[in-house]
Amino acid sequence: MKSFDLAEPATIEEAVALLDPEDKSVRAIAGGTALMLMMKTRLFQPTRLVSLRRLNGDLRGLRVNQDGGLRIGAMTSLAQLEYSHLVASTYPVLSRALGTLSNIRIRNVATLGGHLAHGDPHMDLPPILMTLGAKVSAVSPRGRRWVDICDLFTGYYETSLIKDELITSVEIAGQPPGVYCWYEKFTARSADDWPTVGVAVRYIVDSGVIRDPRVAVSAATERPMRSAAAEAALTNAPLAPHVLSKAADAAADELEPIADLHGTASYKREMVRVHVRRALEKAAQWRR
Amino acid sequence: MAKIIEPPPKTERQAPPTRQVKRSVRRLESKSKVDGSAEYIHNLTLPGMLYGKIARSSIPHGKILSIDPGAALALEGVYAVITGDDIRRLIPDPYYGPAFHDQPILALDKVRYAGEPVAVALAKDPHVAEEAADLIAVEYEPLEAVFDEVQAAKPGAPIIHDVLKPATTFPDLKHLQGRSGTNVALSAHVRRGDLAQAFKESDYVFEQTFRNGKVIHAPLEPYVTVGEMAGPDGLTIHTASQSPSFVRSEISRLLGWPENRVRVRTAFLGGGFGGKLYIKLEALVAACTLLVRKPVRIALTMEEQFYTITKHGATVRLKTGVRKDGRIVAREVEVWWNGGAYADIGPRVTQKSGLTSSGPYDIENISIESHAVYTNEPPAGALRGFGISQVVWAYESQADVIARALNIDPIDFRRRNILREGRPHATGMPMTDIDIDAILDRLAERMEWNRPFDRGSATIRRGRGIAIGIKSCVAPTTSVAMVNIYGDGSCGICSSTVDMGQGSDTAMAQIAAEILGISTESIRVVHPDTDVTPYDMATLGSRSTYHMGNAVRRAAEDARAQLLRMAATVLKTGEGDLECRDGVIAAHCGARVTFRDLMVARFAMQAGNIIGIGSFIPPYEKPDHETGQSRQITPFWMLGGAGAEIEVDTETGRIHVVKLVNVGDAGSPINPDIVERQLIGAGTMQFGFTVFEEMIFNEGQVVNASFADYKIPGMLDVPDQLSGEMVEVPHRQGPFGAKGVGETGMFCVSPAIGNALYDAVEVRITEMPLTPERVLRALRRAQNRPLGSD
Repeated sequence: MKSFDLAEPATIEEAVALLDPEDKSVRAIAGGTALMLMMKTRLFQPTRLVSLRRLNGDLRGLRVNQDGGLRIGAMTSLAQLEYSHLVASTYPVLSRALGTLSNIRIRNVATLGGHLAHGDPHMDLPPILMTLGAKVSAVSPRGRRWVDICDLFTGYYETSLIKDELITSVEIAGQPPGVYCWYEKFTARSADDWPTVGVAVRYIVDSGVIRDPRVAVSAATERPMRSAAAEAALTNAPLAPHVLSKAADAAADELEPIADLHGTASYKREMVRVHVRRALEKAAQWRR
Repeated sequence: MAKIIEPPPKTERQAPPTRQVKRSVRRLESKSKVDGSAEYIHNLTLPGMLYGKIARSSIPHGKILSIDPGAALALEGVYAVITGDDIRRLIPDPYYGPAFHDQPILALDKVRYAGEPVAVALAKDPHVAEEAADLIAVEYEPLEAVFDEVQAAKPGAPIIHDVLKPATTFPDLKHLQGRSGTNVALSAHVRRGDLAQAFKESDYVFEQTFRNGKVIHAPLEPYVTVGEMAGPDGLTIHTASQSPSFVRSEISRLLGWPENRVRVRTAFLGGGFGGKLYIKLEALVAACTLLVRKPVRIALTMEEQFYTITKHGATVRLKTGVRKDGRIVAREVEVWWNGGAYADIGPRVTQKSGLTSSGPYDIENISIESHAVYTNEPPAGALRGFGISQVVWAYESQADVIARALNIDPIDFRRRNILREGRPHATGMPMTDIDIDAILDRLAERMEWNRPFDRGSATIRRGRGIAIGIKSCVAPTTSVAMVNIYGDGSCGICSSTVDMGQGSDTAMAQIAAEILGISTESIRVVHPDTDVTPYDMATLGSRSTYHMGNAVRRAAEDARAQLLRMAATVLKTGEGDLECRDGVIAAHCGARVTFRDLMVARFAMQAGNIIGIGSFIPPYEKPDHETGQSRQITPFWMLGGAGAEIEVDTETGRIHVVKLVNVGDAGSPINPDIVERQLIGAGTMQFGFTVFEEMIFNEGQVVNASFADYKIPGMLDVPDQLSGEMVEVPHRQGPFGAKGVGETGMFCVSPAIGNALYDAVEVRITEMPLTPERVLRALRRAQNRPLGSD
């Protein structure tokens, strides 16, 4: 490993000032669980790492927003979210997913901000946040802007963040009572592996009819994405097995899986079909 | 999901309190491993030490045109860069290996696999050394490469080694011949009966080819060696090695030194599994240490393990002739072992696993051809089971195919064909001290084989399968042990058996304690140090309990004889009237004397030593080169069986193992708990190899060379119920009847799961591992709606 500078700023202003919008070898490091893997394999050789570990205050912890949703500081660890009663009561789907995310050693140090900013399509939380509705606050020397979670991921390990922008918090929308949510994760190898496919669904059922459905898929595709075709197949349709299957087929037909160590593209397409259907079914079962 | 990973309750768990063997003594090192005080070479640093980092070949096959260390040497803090040419100045013929002297300490003139060590950068700071290693500029002229073992064995394949030089170190590999113009390092044969005629007379003939991918050992302590000068003309090598005695003789040979100038010591190993055998980093560290005359440490990263040693990939073609009554009458086996770029111990894998590749079956007509093949992949060597799981995968998958074709229950089919006491093995040796029926009985009982079985419905289908397997133990090999009674009467055992987690310290102490009538816990086991502990062939192939156990037994008997002679004088009685028990020597009349009192009586104070020596080498008859026949091919047979109950998700292809029963013949076990955990541990390891572990290669490059991308099973993955079951068939020459059992749990897991898969969904997969995608593809082909190819 080549030597590099390690900066440990105490404020967010100092932190973003230390980043460089033009230089790819300067990066922020939070938990470091993903970045260290890239450094070990020399995929990434930093000249400067800006550690966020001394940043406190608003960057850590959770609170309830006016709409009943949660605001979560970007430096909050995944384990803190996993054990949070507030998360468990507000978004049980998130709590359950966190319990299966990699392993406890990773969850203890990985942060929510890092999990999102890394742009890895295999992450578990992006599809869930995409279905719940969320936005991230991005701060740079130019100020703050809000990015809808659905606009955050632009490609394979690519986000719409500029290199000197940092995620400071995530705001997840409050959910109407009686919402149906599920995250279905499929790993082809060990349980703590990255998924071959992750599917998050969220919908409302009104007199037996599906309203405002959201279906998001990760890991199978180059970035986490919603399936417009599946959502269209569900909107205003009855909550019935054939409808859920049709929506799953629509997702499988619409999305373009990419091959990696977790599966070939054609296998992943099949896994999208199976797991979109299962997620939709389990969301309904979970409500009952 | 709750997991059940505990042996079922035992009725006879504790031996009578007076006995030390057959007792589940807690491991002597348990506490030190929990509190972190156990010694590992991984934790060793020495004053003034340099760290070495290896620059590795970026291509699988090519000529080295130039190595330019300039940029590396210019880096601040770099002490030296060592290349193959530097080593050649120190060691004129720097090639090593237990079977062939084919592996250069650093690549010379050409590279033969991607990841091969080409140069080493040395620095006081390991990060500087690593950066420097990256700066070493190597120019190559690529050569055509070959990766598949069957292709590589064919005429016309690119030749990986121009000339092969047999090592002649080990007696069982003495017949290896120098060759050129081929990638086949060795072909081993077994021939028995009249195969052609038997196939003609068979009612059915089954022919299939089975494949195994490559996997790695994945010890949690990666390979590590530290070297230092011992005076002006000696060398000490601290190394995480399973074979300290071999390391000493091989380093001495390379240097042209007498063995007494090379000292090799080990500590506990954080796992070995066959990876840490023979020479791994030791020759490189020895050469670097002598070149710079300073302590040198090379410790591999987890990632570098993937470029060091692997399990053999193998292709097994199996043709079997069967009569209508379910009797196998003919079997033809051909095995190609993917040995990678250097032979390591591959020729012995080829020979030993080849000779049992017709299975634990009583077959009159047999032909076996087993080929060790070089390819341009990382070298393959021993991995817990030594090739056996690859051939069992083939013959037990096929056993299931045959049983089903003949509509015979799988257990019954095996009963019609198994070898029984006194019958000749394929090599001609009459079977002794075996009871395969007992293994089948235990499988049937634990699997509740005769109870109705729910095969599931809808998308979750259930199935179960069994398999049995056999292995011979490597021969002939030597173990020497010393039992030392100190002036105060306390006892130490000097043995070069390496405790790498298998519990050998405890087992050896139990054996000596039993003979000397003292408590196991009071004995100190001295760890391998070639200046101190006597010769042992190596800790491998499940040989230690049997070989070193016998050597320790003899050493303890020798010490006891001396003590009894001394006691007879002191107590003024006949030796026959005395016995060692409860920590003293007691006469029948009731008189007693402690070991200390004897020492004081002999040496006039608390002083001196009583040293017992024991040496063990079992009988062996070299197999005939053409027919593989031998009256004594192995000191003992290892036999195992496994049963698996699984659920298959027919929409994803994922296999969930509900229950895995691993049965092993342990002879009469020295320590029942440790034996059961060996079976469970091996079962877990082979479970990983079966369901998802696989090194993935692209044109010779390992694509998933890290534990982020190569997954081993964790607690969430292991079967819901996992058990290790001993069958006790005392061995007449084993120490207190014991046999080795370290590998037995590896043999049968894969075909048991594969056969359960067929039972559940009626698809037969012939290639490991049984990944969800591979299973789903097979399912969909069977349903005539195949998944698209990519």
